[in-house]
Amino acid sequence: MNEQKKDVKYMPAIRKARYPRKHLVHLFLMPALFFYIVFQIYPILSAFLNSFFSFKGMHKDSFIGLENFVRLFTESPFKETFNNAFWHNIIFFIGTVLTKLIVAFILALIINSKIKGKEFFKTVLFVPKLLSVIVVGFLFSLILNPTYGALNTFLKIIGLESLAQPWLGDPDTALYTIILVNSWYGLGFAILIFLAGLQAIPEDIFEAAKMDGAKGLTMILKITIPMIMPAIMIETILTFIGSFETFELIFAMQGSSGGPYYSTDVLATYFYRLAFGTVDGGEAIGLGSALAVVLFLIIAAATAIILFFFKKREFEQ
Amino acid sequence: MKRCLIYFITILFVSSIFLAGCSSSSSDSEKKVNKVELTIYSWRPEDKAAYEKFIDEFEKENRGVEVKFKPFKSTEYGTILTNALSSGKGPDIIQLRPYQGATTIADSGYLLPLDNVKGLTDIPKEYLDAAKGSDGKVYGVPLTLNSAVIFYNTQLFKENGLEPPKTWDQLLQVSKEFQSKDIVPIAQSGKASYLLSLTHSVIGATTYDGNQFVEEFLTGEVNLHDPRFVESIKRMKELEPFFPKDFVAIEDKDAQALFYTGKAAMYINGDYRLESFEQNNPDLPIDVLPSVANTEGGDTPSVTWVDGSYGVVKASKHQKEALKFIEFLASKKFGQMFSDELNRMSAIPGVTPKHLLVKKLTEMSEKSNTPYFMLVHLGDGSPTTKTTFENALQGMYIDKLTADDVIEETQKSLDKWFKKQ
Repeated sequence: MNEQKKDVKYMPAIRKARYPRKHLVHLFLMPALFFYIVFQIYPILSAFLNSFFSFKGMHKDSFIGLENFVRLFTESPFKETFNNAFWHNIIFFIGTVLTKLIVAFILALIINSKIKGKEFFKTVLFVPKLLSVIVVGFLFSLILNPTYGALNTFLKIIGLESLAQPWLGDPDTALYTIILVNSWYGLGFAILIFLAGLQAIPEDIFEAAKMDGAKGLTMILKITIPMIMPAIMIETILTFIGSFETFELIFAMQGSSGGPYYSTDVLATYFYRLAFGTVDGGEAIGLGSALAVVLFLIIAAATAIILFFFKKREFEQ
Repeated sequence: MKRCLIYFITILFVSSIFLAGCSSSSSDSEKKVNKVELTIYSWRPEDKAAYEKFIDEFEKENRGVEVKFKPFKSTEYGTILTNALSSGKGPDIIQLRPYQGATTIADSGYLLPLDNVKGLTDIPKEYLDAAKGSDGKVYGVPLTLNSAVIFYNTQLFKENGLEPPKTWDQLLQVSKEFQSKDIVPIAQSGKASYLLSLTHSVIGATTYDGNQFVEEFLTGEVNLHDPRFVESIKRMKELEPFFPKDFVAIEDKDAQALFYTGKAAMYINGDYRLESFEQNNPDLPIDVLPSVANTEGGDTPSVTWVDGSYGVVKASKHQKEALKFIEFLASKKFGQMFSDELNRMSAIPGVTPKHLLVKKLTEMSEKSNTPYFMLVHLGDGSPTTKTTFENALQGMYIDKLTADDVIEETQKSLDKWFKKQ
């Protein structure tokens, strides 16, 4: 009782002592806030604003309301290019998320088991993430080169020449090849997220399940996967955002037109061409901004839906 | 009270940094008070060393003016330039893309008209057309001419007992001969689709009767469905077996390497590749052909266009000095230096190239020339008709489109903006 009284008595003094410190923290946040506003909020707002204007070259011309959006979805070739690029983004997401979730989960399970050299494997698998995407794109362009690339040369050496392909020059293989490269690049990060999830599962849950007679696959399906659902959710959302924002890898490997003949074109490469690629003869900054706004809305809406879906599943469990 | 003190100290600290920054820059500017600094933006980093020599020459004659040449990567140049111009804090002089590229920037009001600059009136009208605004005024001084040509390895032709092709049929014939000897007939890359339209310009120069078709097209008498133009696309398809295997997946640098290492007999591209061949294999015995005739003894025009010009930014604080530099660029002295240093054809009249091949190119171009149709006349639209055409050609080579589809897609893009003259 006395102690409580003492606390109350000293509260104003404590508060007073902490008060300036608290505000000092706010002050330290100011530079970060400044950069966030300048480099994040301002571009988003200005893209929103530009999307309602027509442009003559680089000059903002007149307010045209939603016309840029209407043109984007109804006028040829914009609508066809949009649909094509959007579809590629969906394939990119599904391909990447499936490859990453399955392979990263299996590898995380192996690393998490009591194997030797755990740390070594963890490091090796994470190394690609340390490289820049552009470097990865360039490296794989060399590896996949049909004339002197390492992959086709290797296939020839082991007698599988019939499997050698112009991996990036054939529209049937180009997109899937890039998806595989992208998955390889992001694998290490996914493994780390899964490992964190796996290590957070209390050992006694597995022991209790064992006593109840659960084994191998049942254990993974009934215990491991539900318990690491938050990690799966994070990985899915990050992959979704990454897949819809993907640009550098495709730009590095196939150029801004997503070649050959738009077979690897995605919304971000299409945006780049619309907004900047036709600077030499375009009036497309307004259209490009409209596409950026649509891209923003797609990512925001889909992320909200994925979050809702996973939260609900988590709650049900 | 304490809070106020902390805010006060912080503000004092921050403002002292700003003030310190301002004061040092003001003292710097005082030092440079007599020196005018001009900045030039270009998309040719590979020319930096040569420009330093040109600039030295200019600075010698114009004491008190310091010129800074700032080149950027070609593919990023457009974006960088857009940002610089729209911020109003850009350079003083900028390199302009030819034709529609220059018109767009001029029409946006970013440039000074140059019609009265000394030396500009001596430059042929068709070259100045590459740097005009919609108002008919000239906004750039053309720097260099490009020719699209067929490079060929003279030694490979000699060793295999073959003559350089003069007609279309001969081109197919020698290609077959080289192919039978495991030599790539034509080193072509299809990864960047613009390379395909460049090859088309050489192949099509005689197929669609060069200038004749262009004139009829501009007056609206014919469109791209004209049999002569259709034939040019069909010829492109006919050449496919003579390109390297999987050429749509290989880069231009790989195609170049096939040529300069002697694995390929011919290579079709701009004459500006001469420089890279000489750097990579100075002993490579090469010669050039402007195009191939329809029949023996027929005309073989050289596909020529202006590659870029230099304009003065209206927002420049040193317009007078910038115009002086432009005058320098329009002089014969500069034209000669430019041609000698970079082995390129100068747009300035009266320049005699030092390099034998460049001399030959100049003569070929003077004898008979035709414009790079897609670049000079079809560079408008969004996406441009040129881009649509190039990507459609790529689509044809990966069997997504037929030759007729290529025409259809290109004409559709053209119909959106083209007005007959």
